[in-house]
Amino acid sequence: MANFILRKAEPKDVSDILRLIKELAKFEKMEEQVILTEKELLEDGFGDHPFYHCFLAEVPEDHQSSDGYTVIGFAMYYFTYDPWIGKLLYLEDFYVMKEFRGYGIGSDILKHLSETAVKTRCSSMHFIVAEWNKPSIEFYKRRGASDLSDEEGWRLYAIEKDDLLKISTK
Amino acid sequence: MNFKVRAARKEDCKDISRMIMELAVYEKMPDQVKISHEELERDGFSPNPFYECLIAEVPDEHKTKDGYTIVGYVLYFYTYSTWKGRSVYMEDLYVMPDFRGKGIGKGLMAKVAQVGVEKQCVRLQLSVLDWNKPSLDFYVAKGAEDLTAKEGWHFLRFDGQSLDTLAKEAPKD
Repeated sequence: MANFILRKAEPKDVSDILRLIKELAKFEKMEEQVILTEKELLEDGFGDHPFYHCFLAEVPEDHQSSDGYTVIGFAMYYFTYDPWIGKLLYLEDFYVMKEFRGYGIGSDILKHLSETAVKTRCSSMHFIVAEWNKPSIEFYKRRGASDLSDEEGWRLYAIEKDDLLKISTK
Repeated sequence: MNFKVRAARKEDCKDISRMIMELAVYEKMPDQVKISHEELERDGFSPNPFYECLIAEVPDEHKTKDGYTIVGYVLYFYTYSTWKGRSVYMEDLYVMPDFRGKGIGKGLMAKVAQVGVEKQCVRLQLSVLDWNKPSLDFYVAKGAEDLTAKEGWHFLRFDGQSLDTLAKEAPKD
């Protein structure tokens, strides 16, 4: 099975996007953290000021998944900014359903993302991976990715809404 | 000390560029700064800006020994979490050494937090170098949690040759 297409996500795809987001979160052992809804995905991705861009991997109907889906992979990205090098493409989520792995779909998604980055004048593509996720780290390192946390010591920090409110009103 | 936090204007980019370099020197990576104020002007002040920036300004009587009144900045942009939705990412926060300890850093960060809350962001994210104890302490005191320690997240990057190689192999439309 090698027949698949990559296409830009449309508003009608939000339920497939959310399904795949939840599958990826489950794989990352954090399924209960997904509180995003289809309505938010619709407003935030297809409104006047999109917060993200998304494209999907789709197979023909005769190759649909065991539960009947033809949208079997996705990548969600947005543009960020590094004051040292300028525009970056930030890869937020990247996932191919388990039964469709090993056919080069993930590889093609990554190449398409890289092409998008180059076409939009981005110097670099950044993303985060959990350190225990060895298959993904290998996948990226084989293709030339460097680990900035290991090489330069960068650590990711987050301040949640209730603390943000405290900071903003002080 | 009297200071004001305001949105950066295009003409502030030379000052912002100066301070970006100062921060890079502090982070021991000055040779990694490749862009100048011209790119900052183009990328932050066009119809589709890629970042937002706030600056801290002091009155003339408190200017630096080199004559600058712009003494701090915060550069941020909006990101998206597929788990929780809209987020704000604080890319750079910097106050010149002579102006620290006066609440300027706190003031800049409070404004970003306020902007984030107004835009319905669920959280603010940032990255810090593991040896940068003063900054780590500053952020942890405000409620920041180390997600690299807690959840094992590492930053990865494709750039230069590796990015170009992948791009050339992209499937044709």
